[in-house]
Amino acid sequence: MDFRMKRALEIAALPAVACIFAYAAYVGLVVAPPDREMGDVQRIMYAHVPMVQMMLLSGTILFVCSVLYLFRASWKTDALAEASAEIALVYGAIGTTLGAIWGRPTWGVFWAWDPRLTTVAILLVALAGYLALRRFVDDPERRAVWAAVTAIVIAVDVPIIYFSVKWWKSLHQVQSNPRTVDPDMVHALRWNITAFFLVFIVFLVVRYRIALASRMREVTVPEAQPQTREAVAS
Amino acid sequence: MNTLHTVLAAVGEGRIRGGWEYVRAAYAICWTGLSLYAVSLWIRSRRSEELK
Repeated sequence: MDFRMKRALEIAALPAVACIFAYAAYVGLVVAPPDREMGDVQRIMYAHVPMVQMMLLSGTILFVCSVLYLFRASWKTDALAEASAEIALVYGAIGTTLGAIWGRPTWGVFWAWDPRLTTVAILLVALAGYLALRRFVDDPERRAVWAAVTAIVIAVDVPIIYFSVKWWKSLHQVQSNPRTVDPDMVHALRWNITAFFLVFIVFLVVRYRIALASRMREVTVPEAQPQTREAVAS
Repeated sequence: MNTLHTVLAAVGEGRIRGGWEYVRAAYAICWTGLSLYAVSLWIRSRRSEELK
């Protein structure tokens, strides 16, 4: 497939993703029934759950890419790790904010140091640190190795976040499943997970290309800046 | 069966009444956040293509 064809397909896919996203929002906000206990406030779930799921998926991609990089160094896996870390931070920050808004009418507080919330907060701070580390190291190879090791340590938090509600039964509810939830709610949640996943894929592809182009510029013109400065000085 | 319908109708709207302001705030933050990130990616993508 040539570049123009690929580009045209990508541009055509964007309105399709936007339509699916709009329909999913309609199903979650209008079609799905209100919850027996929480009433309409429960509709926040259709955005909060997919956002947090995408954060966990992105954290998993970050871990896999980092391990792969250490076994077989490649700028592609390094670029994908950088992209997934940034997207995990964005999705996690928004998802946590939605959870806090949902917590106010249902728990009575925006924030509690519950194990689930605390482990997510640790992940967000760690991801911000990971992205800061990438900015502070100039040498691309050293940066990629340090980032990969840091990411593997950070990724230990991902399964802890998932299982925290099962291990420490506290304020945050345990994951629901389709057998315990109204089919109309399951339908709405599936549409929203699909919509948020498609947006996630678009973001990941675009961010990956930006990171890979930046890496290629760094490695194809090694030490270009210092040489230029020396030439100017002499 | 009628009793079941009566019970379901009684709890049909939930114990927490209203709360749409929380739903609106949550969706507004979500959509605004994702839109701003999309704009940020678009700007960085354009800049990256210019540097090629």
